[in-house]
Amino acid sequence: MTGLLGECMNPPDLRDLILAHMHLHAVLPRIVDLIRIDDESTRVAQEMDVSIAFAVRGGPYLVLKVSRGVAGVSTSGLADVVLFFPSCRRLNRMFQGEKVNPIPLWGLHRFRDLKRFSSLSDRLTRHLKPSEQDLSDEAFRRRHVELSLLVGLAACGVIAKLDPRVQRVVKGLHAGTIQYSVLPNGPHAYVEVQHGTVSAFAGRVPAPSATIELKDLKFAVQLIRGEVDPFAASGLGDIRLSGDLHLVDLFNNLFDRVGLYLK
Amino acid sequence: MALYSFDKSLALFERACRVIPSGIPGHTSPAFNVPGSFPYFAQSGKGCRYKDVDGNEYIDFMAAYGPIVLGYNDPVVDAAAQRQREAGGLFNHPTERSVELAERLLSLVSDMQWAVFARNGSDVTSYAISVAREHTQRRKVLMVEGAYHGVQAWCRSGTGGLIPEDYEHVHTFHWNDATEALDLVKRYKDDVACIIVTPFHHPAFGDQVLPAPSFFADLRRICDENGIVLALDDVRAGFRLSMHGSHAYFGFSPDLTCFSKAIANGYTLSACLGKAALKAAASRVFFTGSFFGGAVEMAAALATLDELERRDAIAHMMKMGTMLQDGLKELARARGLEVVVSGPPTIPYMRFANETNFRRMQRFSGEAARRGVIFHPHHNWFMMEAHKEEDIRQALDVADKCFEVVKKEFGG
Repeated sequence: MTGLLGECMNPPDLRDLILAHMHLHAVLPRIVDLIRIDDESTRVAQEMDVSIAFAVRGGPYLVLKVSRGVAGVSTSGLADVVLFFPSCRRLNRMFQGEKVNPIPLWGLHRFRDLKRFSSLSDRLTRHLKPSEQDLSDEAFRRRHVELSLLVGLAACGVIAKLDPRVQRVVKGLHAGTIQYSVLPNGPHAYVEVQHGTVSAFAGRVPAPSATIELKDLKFAVQLIRGEVDPFAASGLGDIRLSGDLHLVDLFNNLFDRVGLYLK
Repeated sequence: MALYSFDKSLALFERACRVIPSGIPGHTSPAFNVPGSFPYFAQSGKGCRYKDVDGNEYIDFMAAYGPIVLGYNDPVVDAAAQRQREAGGLFNHPTERSVELAERLLSLVSDMQWAVFARNGSDVTSYAISVAREHTQRRKVLMVEGAYHGVQAWCRSGTGGLIPEDYEHVHTFHWNDATEALDLVKRYKDDVACIIVTPFHHPAFGDQVLPAPSFFADLRRICDENGIVLALDDVRAGFRLSMHGSHAYFGFSPDLTCFSKAIANGYTLSACLGKAALKAAASRVFFTGSFFGGAVEMAAALATLDELERRDAIAHMMKMGTMLQDGLKELARARGLEVVVSGPPTIPYMRFANETNFRRMQRFSGEAARRGVIFHPHHNWFMMEAHKEEDIRQALDVADKCFEVVKKEFGG
């Protein structure tokens, strides 16, 4: 089948499936972090008490719960509002900024919460794709770096699980934690690798297996934009590596592929 | 002593980054060392020492990652190379040196009846795979998980530039687990062309593991019973364990064996040697390169092999390697530290006991480099014939100071 019907009825192609998982498991959960680190988003979230499910046919499922300023996500469970996407591609198009409306299966009457969610979503987009003017504000730049780093690290979890090109690497990936820190005062994020799965977290982990320190926020922005060669940066001292570099080397095979999906 | 600084290395690296991807790509990238505490660019070398572009001098235990087996700028080898250079290094045809070198290698290396030449280890390990496939008319290659056989697509690590089809017919088993290899042979019945192994397991970032007593005998039997070619990748260990090939040292007989690194003391040469039964298949594999017939390198190899024998170099390197290993263990113990040294004395690998994240080792190596000794933090080291007792003693003096730093910073 072709056209919209085909898009909805055919199984998703692998790229669409991986990207849909990234959008729901790496990008959308950053709303939780946004509420934690951005005062304006915290204020919006304090007025919300709702759970919203994102259900994709043949693809991922995620529930975002925002309750009086505190947020969380889960990959199962019921929700007050259910937004259905008939295909991975349609979900991806929405996340990529196209005008695509999901099908509200349940809870459309919670339009006030949905409107607030929409403003959170816009705020997240602005943080992930900031203007030069936004980045001139150091506090904004810091939030941009933290959120982008977490998106990238969480996307590695999706790559590890679904991308066939890295399965040989994943097979050899040993357990450990990698701490990412921007000098001198953060932000900080880390990944935990265990049994071939990768989980991303904000903050610091005690006794990481490896540490990757970026020299400052400005450099971190350049790295996120793909403007620097990490190997060169390491030699120049802009990235300081220590600890289990074998784990870092293997993990970078996943990180290198994130940009092939998320632009 | 004042600790070394690396200002010129860094400045040159900045320049390199503008014109070379990653500045220094590959295994010599600073990222795999201790950036900021290691030299990036070399200037000159003599014996077991070299100078970097800042003028810092090092006692070296990496030997250019293996090729320098006698010592940097060995006068005998360089004189042989120079004589050939004066006559001409590359022609429309190979020179007599190629025949001489093939004859010399076959007289030295056990069980082999023919030889072909190339430039790097990757060239000949990949050629060996092709010969095995041609000989057996099968597709599958079995190799050890974590083993390094070069940068061709079938064996390159990582994902960059690779497609799954590149390694679709390559399957791995664990070192010293011949049963697992046999399971793969059964699973891919009548389709396994080759089992390729190194003479001992020498992964980066990990302890080296010697073969279990029956490992090679078991692999030989599996290959014989199933019509599979047993290939040895002796690129890293060749001529540091035995002049007759590392298979002679460990007492087994592969069908093919690959040399490079130490074969010509730093001149770019590799060789694949094989048994007579594979000679016809070898002749059907088109294998060539613009520089494969380079006579200067072959003249250097002939001189290197002669000098290795004349100086009883392997025995000497074994002795110096043992002195180094024993000294390191003793000094660490005296400081309340424990190190684990694995692998043969000529190709040792050191790490701190009870540590998996290399932080102590990185500190140790970085401190050593800043005091004039190159001990790689994540890769096995290489002894050279040029290492003398005085060099080992001097290196151990430096190591002692580095252990002191590690102890102070990390405790036990």
